[in-house]
Amino acid sequence: MYEAVRARPVGPSTVARLAATAADYGYAGVVVTNPPDAAVDAAVDAVGEACGIDVVDGLELTPADPSQAAGAVGHHRPTTTVLCLRGGTGALNRYAVRQPKLDVLTRPMAGRGDLDHVLVRAAAENGVRLAVDLGPVLRETGPSRSAAIAGLRKLRELIADADAPYIVTASPGSHLELRAPRELAAVAAVAGFDREAVERGLAEWGRLAARNRERLADGYVGPGVRVEEDA
Amino acid sequence: MTLPKHLRPRYRYLAATLETWPDAAIDRAAFEAALVAAIRDLFGDAGVAAADARLRTYSLAEGAGTVVVRTRRAAVDTTRAGLAAMGPVEGAPIAVCVRGISGTIRGCEAKYLHGRQLPSAESTVAFEGVDRPAVVRGARVDVDLGDAFVGATDLDLI
Repeated sequence: MYEAVRARPVGPSTVARLAATAADYGYAGVVVTNPPDAAVDAAVDAVGEACGIDVVDGLELTPADPSQAAGAVGHHRPTTTVLCLRGGTGALNRYAVRQPKLDVLTRPMAGRGDLDHVLVRAAAENGVRLAVDLGPVLRETGPSRSAAIAGLRKLRELIADADAPYIVTASPGSHLELRAPRELAAVAAVAGFDREAVERGLAEWGRLAARNRERLADGYVGPGVRVEEDA
Repeated sequence: MTLPKHLRPRYRYLAATLETWPDAAIDRAAFEAALVAAIRDLFGDAGVAAADARLRTYSLAEGAGTVVVRTRRAAVDTTRAGLAAMGPVEGAPIAVCVRGISGTIRGCEAKYLHGRQLPSAESTVAFEGVDRPAVVRGARVDVDLGDAFVGATDLDLI
């Protein structure tokens, strides 16, 4: 199981501290999803080796509108293993679910964001994973926590209906906001997710990373086809 | 009042490790209040009653600690969710990780918490080219930048 994290300079924790904490909590890897203008400058795979955990380079694009998003996706896709886009407005959600180059739409239900059966079906067709973001349920209180749970309930029903791919995250901004998989499963139960569903969503990060690493590797032509160098 | 054995509630003890910033002072009462508030937020007053969560042991010093929470056997997951969803306590973010569940306090302390707390030491470290005060616990280093802490490890020190 993997978790997506944001590291210094965005938050107060370094990649190494996040990786060490995630390893302690039983994760097999972390995906670093900083925004491009505050990317981590350390070599993330070396950190992973030292901590005994897979550290995946990712990005979370935070464009203001779809036209900005289109440029950013084209620019960062060739060099990024896991490419996410932060939704949260109708226009960005609509753009993201129709963009097969994207891996993950994060925070689709945040703010004024919403999804319906048409958008979720589009996400399923284009292979864009929808993020089940438990962060607000973990850290908000009162009405905003209720709204977050309601959003997740709706998202769960839409995902089940369209059999859409999804990932689960607590969107931790520091190592102190990381939670172990079993804790996330206990919290996600209030929105109707069972334990297997949460574990599948956490494991999906790892599957994405493995698939995209293969695609980004030298000699990749298409699924199952690669150019072999002569020995 | 002591009930006959078959009517006594059955309890489980959750052993968890705590982590926060070294300057955070979260006392036992504040932690317990935050736990009950989180359970109430997620499961309502009926959930609080069903879980009947109480702290049995609590220790926190220099940003690390342990806690043993007693809860009714049927509500282990309720209490676990409450521990995960406490949010910041008195302004300080606190990480809670349940390490194991047992039928007795002693059992879970010995089995799941014993030896987890590494001693911490204050020292001066070189972080991003500047000497800074820090609290070091094993490989983990909380660097004091003056107005805030940075969570780092010994890999980040140079």
